Amino acid sequence: MIVGLWMIGGGVAAGVFGSLLGLGGGILIVPLLTLGFGLPLREAVGVSLVSVMMTSSAAAGVYLERHVANLRLGMTLELFTAIGALVGGSIAFLLDERLLSLLFATLLAYVAFTMLQARTGETSRGVDTPDVDLASKDGSPSRPTVLDRLGGEGYQVRNLGRGIVGALGAGVASALLGIGGGIIKVPLMHLAMGVPLRVATATSNLMIGITAAASAVIYLIHGGIDPYVAGPTGIGVFVGATAGSRLGHRLDLSYLRLLFVVVLGYTAFQMLLRVLQ
Amino acid sequence: MTASGRARGLAAERFIGRLLSGITYVSVALLVVGVALLMAAGVSPVSGGPAMDPGRLVSDLVGLKPAGFLWLGLVAVIAAPVTRVTVALVAYARDEDWLMVGVSTAILLVIAIAIGSAVVSTV
Repeated sequence: MIVGLWMIGGGVAAGVFGSLLGLGGGILIVPLLTLGFGLPLREAVGVSLVSVMMTSSAAAGVYLERHVANLRLGMTLELFTAIGALVGGSIAFLLDERLLSLLFATLLAYVAFTMLQARTGETSRGVDTPDVDLASKDGSPSRPTVLDRLGGEGYQVRNLGRGIVGALGAGVASALLGIGGGIIKVPLMHLAMGVPLRVATATSNLMIGITAAASAVIYLIHGGIDPYVAGPTGIGVFVGATAGSRLGHRLDLSYLRLLFVVVLGYTAFQMLLRVLQ
Repeated sequence: MTASGRARGLAAERFIGRLLSGITYVSVALLVVGVALLMAAGVSPVSGGPAMDPGRLVSDLVGLKPAGFLWLGLVAVIAAPVTRVTVALVAYARDEDWLMVGVSTAILLVIAIAIGSAVVSTV
């Protein structure tokens, strides 16, 4: 009973932090379960995938109802994140757990570094609307291209090839490490493909479902998802993410972000120790 | 795209959004029941849960066993985005948007390959 409550509490904390800092809960669930509850990394990744699916599906439903997410672009890219997740989910069971831990530690250190950079640079350079070329090249009406059909109100999509390659990478990372992959997809869509940040965030959220589903079924069939762990953790993350999304605009996130950088750095160090053991 | 086609597209998105939210809340409710039963039985979550056995699902649900509710909830979580793509496929086919019909079909095919390859590798 006590362990179950701790697991729900840990899930709530991961959900609140993830939601407040726009990272999703995945990046915290795996360390929570491996370092906090002694679960094997692969099992923790399976539980994390299901947990991020719960929060992303709920958010994506709202984004679709409000027409914030770009369904066509999301579905086109999620075809490739799903292919990446299929590959990642298949090789996850062939890789040594220590290698997976090393990859996860690297990811944590990278996120901590980028958050620190964002903190020091946020006053001088925010993430602005990308340069979008709305004018047609010769001004003449022509048959809409695939890119034209993927665009939304007030913006055109560009660099689909780069988007596809990035989506494949995001899918592999999601399946191997149990993360939603927003940290790759949002900058990819916003900066490389010309999608406004709000739409890119909503569309990334929408894509998490299918991306994680492609690898979650592999984890499930291989026995990599424990229902007794996934239940309490998933509920905790869901409640935490819901609360975090309502708290976000009321809190000063700059100190929280600094605390998070420290937590991520410490967690990366602990994961590295697991590799060396 | 015509105005009526765009209106149909927006209505389909609204429907898909509601469906996605609905399935998610049902799955959360199932998981809450499963966790409550787990705690009431005094079972530790780290004791190792049973593997999924579709043949035992109904009897576990009827017998109020935590594993039944937890597995049904988890399957619903995974099924939610797949259902979303299936509904979108139907909506795109009705609009004769063959590019998106192809994309939706390919996504479902990837999911089917993921299931098939995992089943084959465990046999």
